[in-house]
Amino acid sequence: MGFLLTTLIFVAIGIIASLCTRICFDKGPSANLFHLTLVITATVCCWLMWAIVYLAQMNPLIVPILSEVE
Amino acid sequence: MNILKNLPEMDLMRSEKMTFVQLIIPVESAHRAVSYLGELGLLQFRDLNDDKSPFQRTFVNQVKRCAEMSRKLRFFKEQIHKAGLLSSALPTLQPDVDLEALEVKLAEHEHELIEMNANSEKLQQTYNELLEFKMVLQKAGGFLVSGNSYETPEGRELDENVYPSDYPESASLLEQATQSGPSNLSGLRFISGIIPKTKILLFERMLFRATRGNLLFNQAPADDLIMDAVSSEMVEKVIFIVFFSGEQAKTKILKICEAFGANCYPVPEDLTKQSQITQEVLSRLSDLETTLDVGIRHRNAALHSIGFHLTIWMNMVKREKAVFDTLNMLNFDVTKKCLVGEGWCPIFAKTQIQEALQRATIDSNSQVGIIFHVMDAVESPPTYFRTNTFTNAYQEIVDAYGVAKYQEANPAIYTVITFPFLFAVMFGDWGHGICLLLGALILIAHERKLGSQKLGSFMEMLFGGRYVLLLMSLFSIYCGLIYNEFFSVPFHIFGASAYRCRDASCSEAQTVGLIKYRDAYPFGVDPSWRGSRSELPFLNSLKMKMSILFGVAQMNLGIMLSYFNSIFFNNSLDIRYQFVPQMIFLNSLFGYLSLLIIIKWCTGSQADLYHVMIYMFLSPFDDLGDNELFWGQRPLQIVLLMSALVAVPWMLFPKPFILRKLHTERFQGRAYGILRNSEIDTDSEPGSARHHEEEFNFSEVFVHQMIHSIEFVLGSVSNTASYLRLWALSLAHSELSTVFYEKVLLLAWGYENFLIRMVGLAVFAFATAFILLMMETLSAFLHALRLHWVEFQNKFYGGDGYKFEPFSFTAIADDED
Repeated sequence: MGFLLTTLIFVAIGIIASLCTRICFDKGPSANLFHLTLVITATVCCWLMWAIVYLAQMNPLIVPILSEVE
Repeated sequence: MNILKNLPEMDLMRSEKMTFVQLIIPVESAHRAVSYLGELGLLQFRDLNDDKSPFQRTFVNQVKRCAEMSRKLRFFKEQIHKAGLLSSALPTLQPDVDLEALEVKLAEHEHELIEMNANSEKLQQTYNELLEFKMVLQKAGGFLVSGNSYETPEGRELDENVYPSDYPESASLLEQATQSGPSNLSGLRFISGIIPKTKILLFERMLFRATRGNLLFNQAPADDLIMDAVSSEMVEKVIFIVFFSGEQAKTKILKICEAFGANCYPVPEDLTKQSQITQEVLSRLSDLETTLDVGIRHRNAALHSIGFHLTIWMNMVKREKAVFDTLNMLNFDVTKKCLVGEGWCPIFAKTQIQEALQRATIDSNSQVGIIFHVMDAVESPPTYFRTNTFTNAYQEIVDAYGVAKYQEANPAIYTVITFPFLFAVMFGDWGHGICLLLGALILIAHERKLGSQKLGSFMEMLFGGRYVLLLMSLFSIYCGLIYNEFFSVPFHIFGASAYRCRDASCSEAQTVGLIKYRDAYPFGVDPSWRGSRSELPFLNSLKMKMSILFGVAQMNLGIMLSYFNSIFFNNSLDIRYQFVPQMIFLNSLFGYLSLLIIIKWCTGSQADLYHVMIYMFLSPFDDLGDNELFWGQRPLQIVLLMSALVAVPWMLFPKPFILRKLHTERFQGRAYGILRNSEIDTDSEPGSARHHEEEFNFSEVFVHQMIHSIEFVLGSVSNTASYLRLWALSLAHSELSTVFYEKVLLLAWGYENFLIRMVGLAVFAFATAFILLMMETLSAFLHALRLHWVEFQNKFYGGDGYKFEPFSFTAIADDED
């Protein structure tokens, strides 16, 4: 899928989530900003987790060596 | 920058703006005003009578009366509980009952109840005595009768103890006793009674000694248990009869009976008289029973009617006591016609408070309005965050470490997401995550019902943290999908693995391993790794590097928050001499390490990062050789090392000297007044900037700065390493999960026997539930908490404020429970 493509997918999901939160829980500008912060933090954390695991597997230095089959 | 300035204030970012107010209340509207303020719950009164003892305060009598009333109410509650009635509250709200009328009513009820209790106690005592008398009549009658030639059933039960005496035989003794009347003064007489079983042996021995053996002692156990008056529990009693002669013996025996608590009852010797008295006693007993019954029913009815109003009355009394306690905090002014109070309230609540005060003035028909105006305060205001049910749990987690200083950045806004996220990094298994999610959803679905009940302390904590649990479970499912673990089993959800055998026969799979023939697995860890021999080296390397990356990211976030704090408090000194060198130091060392990690992953180089980092310090000018990851690495490393070395004195030295210079400048121009918002270190104790204006202890400030810098420098290494617990716990969870799956479930499933399979399934379920779901959850919760409290918050958090505790009736109701 490629790193960039999936990153763009995460960004898109983040934007959609922010819009949904704005539509469903519109409670004034200060509360909206707080909700936006939460959504962005969550998106960044999830993306970071995925990106780290993806990057680690892009050029691995070792390969799986299967264990003895019983 | 402009965008940042034009943004609205974020909800929980900083505590509400507070203001110090003074209230001047005329006496007639004081009580009402304080009650309305209590209902509103937005004003924290300051105790102006701190130095007075509770007995010197103005409203001490009313407080005493309220305490007395609540004592009565507690007495009622206890009585209702003892009688075993369920307290049912009348659902409709009663109109406000006047406090004085309530006091009178309560006194009446108490008097009534105490009387009823005393009466029933007396009746009960009489009942017991009659019962004992009845038993004594039955058994002792048996003793006396058995002297006759025909045997009675009771006679066979007898335990005759005959003592050597002047009379030849026991049988003739009894005959003589029955033949000679009880009025024969010099002849044989007897005393009959009843005594607890435990004392009978000692009693017998004592009697024997006292009468020098001149007695005949018979005993028989009672049929039923009898209520012992002293200990008020059912005990076994024994009926005895003592035959003796002589007046002296009689007094001695009576005294001994009294000492042992034996109750003596006179039994007539005549058989007809015995049966007469027995009938009388029986009829009196049944009378008493009915009387007792009626009495108990009457009392229960009274208690029932009290029980209806009990909760309402208790609430009322609690509220009144709280109001009088608050009134005690106010001072009388000079004219003795007004009460003066001071307190803190949030600025947004000012209009509401003024409204409440106006209502109080109108409702109490007072001529004078209540004066409410803003004042300046010396001390720093309390911290007040307006949370909802969702954010309340997180704010409590942050407050448990330390309440935020007035208006400093609140870590809770990030903790809402990062705390469950770091938990999930350590817990990552989407099977376990689904179990946690079910638990959280059940708690949230029964929110209303569980919220009104009183729960045990463990359940209460669990219920209070239900939204935290919800987020924790959602993130756990996500991390579980990334780690590709469902109860430690990997799945191919996101496509086929990226690895395959080198050739068709897979001959080398166990020696050299598979090869990677496609792009990396699109989402998460490749399923081929699970169960392979090189699984642990790969996953360890991945998770350790991941922990470092998360750690550096969170610490950078912390330092950025300290920057925002400095901007808010207009502290440019802190920005220039604390924020900048801290960023430089952390990022030139550990930010650089993170960069190396990412470059190594992207290029697949074989460089040894430990070697690179260590030799960056030991011999920075040497050639890197195989460890070169990118062009220009060596000069870059030298530059970073230099900047880190420069950053340390930069954060240590300038600030104290500049503070001293500012202090002397400030107080040279004292005639022009004290400037607000000057560049003074606001990290010092609240109020000390005003009180200790004259003193500027340079050595103190210098040592403080030195401690702060050393803490940061050494802390940057130790905190980064501390994040490795993310790796450690995640490894532990994964290994435990694997063990339970492979060594319990698969092992048991291997057998064909149904019973063994079921047992294996049960053991697997219990082990998963208790060890993985409960213990590991608590463990990961604790470690994620520590990471937040220490590693994240010590970069920016002051945490030395105090919480806003308004005078509120809802808070009091919660408090009592």
